[in-house]
Amino acid sequence: MTPKERLKMILEGQQADRPACICPGGMMNMVTSELMDRVKVYMPEAHKDARQMARLSKAVYDERCFENYGVPFCMTVEAEEMGARVDMGSDVYEPHVVEYAINSVSEYQKLRPVDVNQGRAKVVLDAIRILREETEDVPVVGNLTGPISTASSLMEPVIFYKELRKKNQEAHAYMEFITEQLIAFGRAQVEAGADLIAVSDPSGTGEILGPKYFKEFAVTYINRLLDALQEEKMGTIVHICGQMSPVYEEVNEVRSSALSFDSIVPMKEAREHLKNRVLMGNVSTYALEFGDPRKVRTLTENCVKNGSDIISPACGLGMKSPLRNVQAILAGVEAGISEA
Amino acid sequence: MSSKEELLKRLSDGVVDMEEDDVAEAAKEYLEAGYPAFDGIMEGLVDGMNRASQLYEEEEYFVTDVLLCSDAMYVGLDILRPYLPEVSSDDKITGVIGVVEGDTHDIGKNLVRIMLETAGFHMIDLGRDVPLAKFVETAKEENADFVCMSTLMTTTMGGMETVIRLLEEEGLRDKVKVMIGGGPISQKYADKIGADGYSQNAVEAVKLAKRLLNVA
Repeated sequence: MTPKERLKMILEGQQADRPACICPGGMMNMVTSELMDRVKVYMPEAHKDARQMARLSKAVYDERCFENYGVPFCMTVEAEEMGARVDMGSDVYEPHVVEYAINSVSEYQKLRPVDVNQGRAKVVLDAIRILREETEDVPVVGNLTGPISTASSLMEPVIFYKELRKKNQEAHAYMEFITEQLIAFGRAQVEAGADLIAVSDPSGTGEILGPKYFKEFAVTYINRLLDALQEEKMGTIVHICGQMSPVYEEVNEVRSSALSFDSIVPMKEAREHLKNRVLMGNVSTYALEFGDPRKVRTLTENCVKNGSDIISPACGLGMKSPLRNVQAILAGVEAGISEA
Repeated sequence: MSSKEELLKRLSDGVVDMEEDDVAEAAKEYLEAGYPAFDGIMEGLVDGMNRASQLYEEEEYFVTDVLLCSDAMYVGLDILRPYLPEVSSDDKITGVIGVVEGDTHDIGKNLVRIMLETAGFHMIDLGRDVPLAKFVETAKEENADFVCMSTLMTTTMGGMETVIRLLEEEGLRDKVKVMIGGGPISQKYADKIGADGYSQNAVEAVKLAKRLLNVA
């Protein structure tokens, strides 16, 4: 069974020969310093050059870290294309927004709609095309920054969160605009050859928003985005950060093929609350950076045992995570079947 | 004319209910009635903020709620503060707070700063994406008693350890307590890098600061 066939079955809710083992990219960073040294492709250059982006992405699979390709490696592409100023970071720091585009939700008309034919949006699409053309059996994941996270990258997040209440209607108009842009970028990624789309929305957590606003803003616009992507794609993954306990009911309304959580959510608890969902996660990135392969192996086995269908890191990898730790996840997942 | 108790309650309720205008109105009436600004702050505004953090702890309120409560509190503070008797800030315990270099997620940090200020600490906020040496320089210049660092990203958490090492090199480590927090941070990580403490949220951060600095 190829990694692609396996992941497809799992996302469709079928039983595969074993869990899949992926790390989507985007917020869920899967690149480490050691990996960059192996292929001599480095950030921040790889954020801006499609060929290098594709090469680094291939290395993730070739070095037996994860069974997928994924681009981009940051969550600033969308905001940058709409007008935020981004510092491209370094070989260890991720790109981040250094200057916002607007001061209030009511100014959203000043934003530039995303043009997928230029800038880093084009770089990402070109990288997907390269991966599509040059590879076959490995799923290509296109990544999108979630609606709330994108919206709060274009303006000061504190003001944004407050205006969800104080300027409720305008906040919705802003979110509709943002979601339209993400749909355009997401559809272009599928068209370029992405097999599935992963959406990470770390700023749209239940802990920050509370159940009411989580549902009104995060769930509503994530679903609008998911519903607008092409039917022919293999599936979608949504990653949400933070505790789920206040919002399990609302999270279950997210219409993605799979749901992914960070390590603060015990897989066992998630499985209990979300019985019929495909779940992804959540090997501690702390253990991946500071633990050893044995520890990672144990955590991997626990994830499988506790009901995770797609084994993955709980969050983006720390750049200094040793490759042998990262590789221990896939090794553990593979060993699982031979022992069974 | 409302009684002092009624006005204090309006200040406190205004903060809990996130009503800036109510707080402003109550604060002005309170001053006009000639009541002491200090009580208005402590028994009105700060009381409201404490009730808001209680609700936060009970998961009735969430981060966005607390941010709006703190806005209302600061509106009241701006009105009452000029009427406080002069107190030198030297008497206050001083903390330096910021999000470490490479990261711009500062919601959690802002919340911690607000809660610590409410609890009476003098906080110097360096903002976000703060160069690591800046924490140390500021701690030295301001004669700070503690440093708080946060990050939401695994890629940037290593900077916290660097700050601790820089504090050691400057010979400041013994007099400056270090508290850390943020999504990927844990007690284990705090132990590993030799921080004095970790807290999971803003309310816990206040308790931790009080414990580390022996404040009642």
